[in-house]
Amino acid sequence: MSWLLNLYETYESNLDRVGVIEKKHNDREYTLLPISHTTQNAQIEVEITEQGDFHSARVLDKDDFSTLIPCTEKSASRAGSVVAPYPLHDKLSYVAGDFVAYGGKIKKEEPFAAYIQQLEGWANSEYATPKLKSIYRYLSKRRLIKDLVDESILYLDEDQKLISKWEKKYERSPGEKPRIFTAVPGELESAFIRFNVYSPDKALTKVWQDKELYDSFIGYYSKLLGEEDICYVTGKQLPSTDKHANKIRNSGDKAKLISANDTSGFTFRGRFAHSHEAASISYEVSQKAHNALKWLIHRQGKTTMDNRVFLVWGNDATNVPSLTDNDNIFAMGFGTESSRPTAIKSHTNEELAFDLAKALSGYRNKLAVKADSKANVNILVLDSATTGRMAVLYYRNLDKKLYFDRLIDWHSKCAWLHRYQKDEQGELLLFWGAPATRDIAFAAYGPKANDKLIKGLMERMLPCIVDGRTIPQDIVRSATHRASNPVAMDKWEWEKTLSITCALINTREGYNVGLDEENTDRSYLFGRLLAIADVLERNALERSGQDKEKKRSTNAIRYMSVFSQHPERTWRTIQNALQPHQAKYGQSLNYYSIMIDEVASKIPFDQFNNEPLTGKYLLGFYSQRYKLYHNTDKKKHQANTTETNDSQNDNTPA
Amino acid sequence: MRNAIEFRVYGDYALFTDPLTKLGGEKLTYSVPTYQALKGIVESIYWKPTITMVVDKVRVLNAIRMESKGIRPIEYGGGNTLANYTYLKDPCYEVQAHFIFNLHRPEMEYDRNENKHHNILKRSLLAGGRRDIFLGTRECQAYVEPCVFGEAPGFYDSYGDIHLGNMVHGINYPDETGRNHLEVRLWNPVMKDGVIEFIPPEICTQVRIIADMQPKQFDENNVQSADELFAEWEGWGMK
Repeated sequence: MSWLLNLYETYESNLDRVGVIEKKHNDREYTLLPISHTTQNAQIEVEITEQGDFHSARVLDKDDFSTLIPCTEKSASRAGSVVAPYPLHDKLSYVAGDFVAYGGKIKKEEPFAAYIQQLEGWANSEYATPKLKSIYRYLSKRRLIKDLVDESILYLDEDQKLISKWEKKYERSPGEKPRIFTAVPGELESAFIRFNVYSPDKALTKVWQDKELYDSFIGYYSKLLGEEDICYVTGKQLPSTDKHANKIRNSGDKAKLISANDTSGFTFRGRFAHSHEAASISYEVSQKAHNALKWLIHRQGKTTMDNRVFLVWGNDATNVPSLTDNDNIFAMGFGTESSRPTAIKSHTNEELAFDLAKALSGYRNKLAVKADSKANVNILVLDSATTGRMAVLYYRNLDKKLYFDRLIDWHSKCAWLHRYQKDEQGELLLFWGAPATRDIAFAAYGPKANDKLIKGLMERMLPCIVDGRTIPQDIVRSATHRASNPVAMDKWEWEKTLSITCALINTREGYNVGLDEENTDRSYLFGRLLAIADVLERNALERSGQDKEKKRSTNAIRYMSVFSQHPERTWRTIQNALQPHQAKYGQSLNYYSIMIDEVASKIPFDQFNNEPLTGKYLLGFYSQRYKLYHNTDKKKHQANTTETNDSQNDNTPA
Repeated sequence: MRNAIEFRVYGDYALFTDPLTKLGGEKLTYSVPTYQALKGIVESIYWKPTITMVVDKVRVLNAIRMESKGIRPIEYGGGNTLANYTYLKDPCYEVQAHFIFNLHRPEMEYDRNENKHHNILKRSLLAGGRRDIFLGTRECQAYVEPCVFGEAPGFYDSYGDIHLGNMVHGINYPDETGRNHLEVRLWNPVMKDGVIEFIPPEICTQVRIIADMQPKQFDENNVQSADELFAEWEGWGMK
């Protein structure tokens, strides 16, 4: 199904969320807007009695000024000196009938005339509500500024003109600057005013939160729309529009998904001479689809630094685990089961993997019960190449069950043991699963990689997750190179790169973190050798007390990059460096020495050469090191216990 | 089916532009080809004003995947701009189509020889088409070859129904409808196990009149009969 139709249907299935204010984690408010409505920041609230008289007014606080207002197509896109009033709440220059009388400057036509005429049309229509009529009755008296001055919200100078900018000379006592002048950015003419109806005996809903009033305007405005045409999204005969929403990603975003004022590029030209010939979209669908999209992006969109938006949602239940992240899979709340990684105490990766799969399939089952078979998941990627236009870079619509199968598949295939994520308490989490796509980008290109590179990689990873494609070789190769070069990074960063690279390589190999003693792959065995040499030397350094801070890297780590290119030659160097340690602490290091002999003997004679190693050596390295540090055979080698603790502390990011 | 051909068409990319994304210039592809795009491919294989090509059905063989590219379209007013176009990746389709005689061209009545046209059509297909084949837009070069419809395994076999929503079916030209209008047809396709059975153009109920248009005339000034051509060639041979 087309992306616009899916957005439209998402709106339709979330009608109960319309107008409900929700809060983001950073306390920013957002809502699923009703059609023909938008939000504005108001500075002054005026209360009017039901009879249509002035009651009171106040200057609004920052945490209270967000207001849902009705808007027309014209007013939504007004700019500069164009006179296009909002239907109800608007700026002072529009709503005050005595604006000119108090010295307000207007350019060509009087904004109030246009405003009150528009309001009159609505107030006299069959859709009008009592509240609307009260507001209209009051405003047609043309005395708003006078009342606001009497209420000491606005101030007049000696000539009985409105003070639009506060100056020192108006101060009767020092430091006395009325609140309105700090609340309004710029001159007072642009102060935004919202109206409310006050009743002494009834508790009335606020005008801007009143569903009845939303419906009233939607009903009234739908009669004023343009000509009917076939809507390309729904196929129905509906009033069409050529003005579509901007501010899709955030309030400063000018880019439009559908723009129609292209009169010079003519990307549609050929068969068609005008944009309305190329396609038509109905006002209702455009409004609903765009509002749903904005709402979804606020709720669950992932925006990269470069403003590329990754969005995953379901038509029926919008919350769906994202495929670009791993943390929110745990945070989704799968019920009371232990799904938070903190709760996982065990050290066997099978158990972790099982927990993750259980969490995901539990979630899948829960959804499947709720919404039988028709449920779908949409994946949408948005970005703009220029400021004015935005494009859909990727769109997939899949069966929800299939989507979860793919996610489980991905998280069990591209999986390794990671320890770079932190929980709320700042504790490092042991986590088995697929790394987030952004972390893969950092592993492959380094933390200073260009934003474009990162978002490009994130997009390239989508087919790997959604379609089970193989991971592009250049990404794996690049990550392998970085993981082979530990001296270039801080320890924690290298560990992170290493475990992510292992996950990428393992997607093809399907190994376990648990050491595979039977594996006779040359690279794997060489990797094991390197790990033993590393642990041996670290052990010896600890013993000698030379390296209390554990800052010094071992020879194995230092030579890792060369080792991956020329294993035989470099192994000789590493082994030579080990000899003094072995001589000094012979007995206690015997365990490792024996192991080195054992592993080395497994490499066939003719394969012990200088041919470069494949990425598999990292898997061997990781698994062997993991085994050595988590060895339960403590009686024989007591030292291992201290090692285990050390290795965990080592990973703390600097 | 009578007068039918079955062929496979494939390429690296395809762009069946969703008209809504065409207005501003950031093109996004439909997930499946339109009737008109496939008709264009069949007409690129072989076409004469005598006949009208009808696409019966299409089968999507590969999973529908998208890939975006940064494109620098040339502006009419000079210079160029940067846009993100989103293409289908690795498209591969099986198509069944046939031809009928265009009854709105009485002047071509003498050319209505089914057997001849069907044989030329099949020969042209074997040769890879008479004109360039492309999937949706000109930059998406494609190739055609004969096949047996439904024989090769496809990604969507036994996948079930996929509702594709409202999309463009094709364009009505005056020489095929008899009406002096350019019209756009829309419809609501459902893909069943990867196969879309197209409804014939005249059954489409959502028709939108775009503009007035006159059919192109074909007469002795721009059509040459095979006999004449043969005589000409024979004449050259004599010299």
